[in-house]
Amino acid sequence: MKNEGQLSRRQILAAAGFVGLATLTGCGGGGDGGDAKDLSKKQNGAMKEYRVGQQFKASKPLSFSMLHNDNPGYPYKANWLFWKEVTKRTGITLKPVDVPLADYEKKRSVLIGSGDAPFLIPKTYHPSEVAFVSSGAILPVSDYTHLMPNFQAKVKKWKLEPELDSIRQSDGKYYLLPGLHEKPKSGYSLSFRTDVLDKLGLSLPTTWDEVHQVFTAIKQQYPDRYPLSDRWSTNTPFAVGALQSYLGQAYGVKAGWTYDNISFDSTAKKFVFTGATDAYRQMIEYLGKLVAEKLMDPESFTQTDDQAIQKLLGEKSFAISANPQELVQTYRYNLTKQVKGATIEMVPVPIGPAGPVVLGGIRLENGVMVSSKALKSADFVAMMQFVDWLWYSDEGQRFCKWGVEGVTYTYSGGKYRLKDGISLMGSDAGAPKDLQKDYGFFNGVFTYGGSWALVSSSFSPDEKKFQDAMAQRRQLPIDPPHPLESAEQEQASLWTTPLQDHVTQNTLQFILGKRPLSQWGAYVNELKAKNMQQLVDLHNKAYERYQKENG
Amino acid sequence: MVRPSRSYRVFQGVNGVVLTLVVVVTLYPFVNIVARSFSGERQIRSGDVTLWPKGFNLTTYRIVFHDSEFWRSYGNTVYYTVVSTVVAMVLTTCYAYVLSKKQLKGRGLLVGVAVFTMFFTGGLIPNYVLVTSLGLKNTVWALALPNAISVFNLLVMKAFFESLPGELEEAAQIDGLSTYGTLLRIVLPLSKAVVATMVLFYSVSFWNSWFGAFLYMDRSELMPVTVYLRNLIAGATGGSNAGAATADLSQVGANIQAVTIVLTSLPILCVYPFVQRYFVSGVMLGAVKG
Repeated sequence: MKNEGQLSRRQILAAAGFVGLATLTGCGGGGDGGDAKDLSKKQNGAMKEYRVGQQFKASKPLSFSMLHNDNPGYPYKANWLFWKEVTKRTGITLKPVDVPLADYEKKRSVLIGSGDAPFLIPKTYHPSEVAFVSSGAILPVSDYTHLMPNFQAKVKKWKLEPELDSIRQSDGKYYLLPGLHEKPKSGYSLSFRTDVLDKLGLSLPTTWDEVHQVFTAIKQQYPDRYPLSDRWSTNTPFAVGALQSYLGQAYGVKAGWTYDNISFDSTAKKFVFTGATDAYRQMIEYLGKLVAEKLMDPESFTQTDDQAIQKLLGEKSFAISANPQELVQTYRYNLTKQVKGATIEMVPVPIGPAGPVVLGGIRLENGVMVSSKALKSADFVAMMQFVDWLWYSDEGQRFCKWGVEGVTYTYSGGKYRLKDGISLMGSDAGAPKDLQKDYGFFNGVFTYGGSWALVSSSFSPDEKKFQDAMAQRRQLPIDPPHPLESAEQEQASLWTTPLQDHVTQNTLQFILGKRPLSQWGAYVNELKAKNMQQLVDLHNKAYERYQKENG
Repeated sequence: MVRPSRSYRVFQGVNGVVLTLVVVVTLYPFVNIVARSFSGERQIRSGDVTLWPKGFNLTTYRIVFHDSEFWRSYGNTVYYTVVSTVVAMVLTTCYAYVLSKKQLKGRGLLVGVAVFTMFFTGGLIPNYVLVTSLGLKNTVWALALPNAISVFNLLVMKAFFESLPGELEEAAQIDGLSTYGTLLRIVLPLSKAVVATMVLFYSVSFWNSWFGAFLYMDRSELMPVTVYLRNLIAGATGGSNAGAATADLSQVGANIQAVTIVLTSLPILCVYPFVQRYFVSGVMLGAVKG
């Protein structure tokens, strides 16, 4: 106890000094980007003429550091054909900084925050790049897209400007090179035990009303079981994140995984609070009905994925959310082994009051951030050309996905076929090699987006059927740009989290019937007490400002 | 012998029941994991496996045993643990021994410096900048040095050294031993209990730690088995978030996870029972003196 007096003053001062110093050095990275517009001194290794359809090849060997998201399904190997072939074709050697997928975001923040980030930072999902904008550590890539002919061509051809506008910041620039899709690709929908439906003389539902009828019929046959026991409730703030997301879509509202506090009301031409809209309430009402009529397992909202799958495989439930891969690899694979005569199929997202629509904005994928340090490098132009070729050219995308023609795949009649002895995600169980694990292709870091022909080239028959049906749907308009300035951003983030928490908690209570929907008005008032209106006003102000400044 | 009172016997009964329940609750997950590691994927998926393996097979063990990635990480963990523990033991013992000497000038300051770090840290990014600019990244030193002195362990050791009779050391000095001689030949042989405890504390924490390695290692061939394991489990359960490209949605078999968990915790489990008797007495010895 006698120590305490001694440690107080001198040590606290010294320690404060250390902390201050460390913080200063920590934030010192990034910052001055040099003369941004003059690129004449940054042409080292670049091609003089680089156009769409041309193979990028650096005029001298260069290497670029890159953050690499290490997927446990296909752990990083230095001897992947991918790395060798990239160098052979482009003269560029990629130097991956390998980060385990489980904590990719954490390490990315530390590296950027400490000024130690590699030049290329792929696998970044909008809006996580926004956090780094004010530090200056990330390059406003929209200033340099003139170095990227393939990127520009695809944006123009597929009319992606409105999508790009939606990721612009308050300075009118965007800081992420997103993956570009020709057509929206849908991920999730309901899957049903078709053999059970057949036995009951039911057909696959196409609307949410029919879903309700099918569930009711199943319930009559099996009164002690739940027709639907759903998953994707853990590791996300949203209970049944997938179901809410595609059910919300049928009501034209962003819910579940896709939830966003703010959404645009295109008739009133202004932003509104998503969790207080009528469509959102109707969606809750629908789910509440399923739970109240015991058509949906109330544990759906809390159980782990494994528990939900166990119920499906144990025939305690007959429907579950799916994506094409889970459908084939988990449900069908295990069901056929465990339940005699079981078949399961995924339906195109059932249609609701909003008609046959898909949410807008899903033609952008995760993408690449570029570290501001890269701009100071003499190799900058060559690097941007390289990024353009690898991630955005037809040839580069084909290469990342399928590999080397004649070595990993053959192409004929519009179809890609893997060479014998190479498997992809279990396509050939007996094959000695795997396209991802042993060759490094079809790697999520490099493979996403592209033309519909390329994207659909890897679809299983089930997915093809699903995606073709979904591709017919009308895309809902994208929210117009409404970027916040950094002070506003801070203010908004203080309001956003408590609001979203309140929405998710009450959504669950309404659905489970713990809070009657007659209290909807009270719920909206509670949101108002949590600064809902201020948040909406902030976004509307930003929207008007952007309109005025950028037309 | 006094017969225990009635209330005491009731207490013992209740105590026994409660503790048995605690043991069951603590042991169950472990037994379950071991059972899973010997079970078939199908039985795990359908939730049949509880205490006993169902669909007994050893194929998963065979697969993991042949996974060079796993053994490389395993080797890294052994290497990091050994080096870090040695470094930590040398530094902690020396520091604690010095602090146990009442006549030392500035002793309060030295204790204060250590205790200060218990309550305040520089934070993640300054730490990262420090380690990086010292050039420790991608080396074992990035893991060994920042964690070399655990203040809790230091204080326990200091208290233990203080409890040794000063006369012993005086006698040693009269017989001509230097300071280090006294420490090595007199004090340490008398402190086996606390040394064993500290070795255990340090090695378990180094064996289980993953964050340092995750932060300071940039190449997968340098990762310890904990990071490998974490990626395996988190990757298998958290990979299916919204918008993830299909290429991300890979499944790692539930039994592979179980086998890896068993193999990772095995060494610690094997060592624990044998060091345990030092363990309890070591901490207690320090504590009485306080």
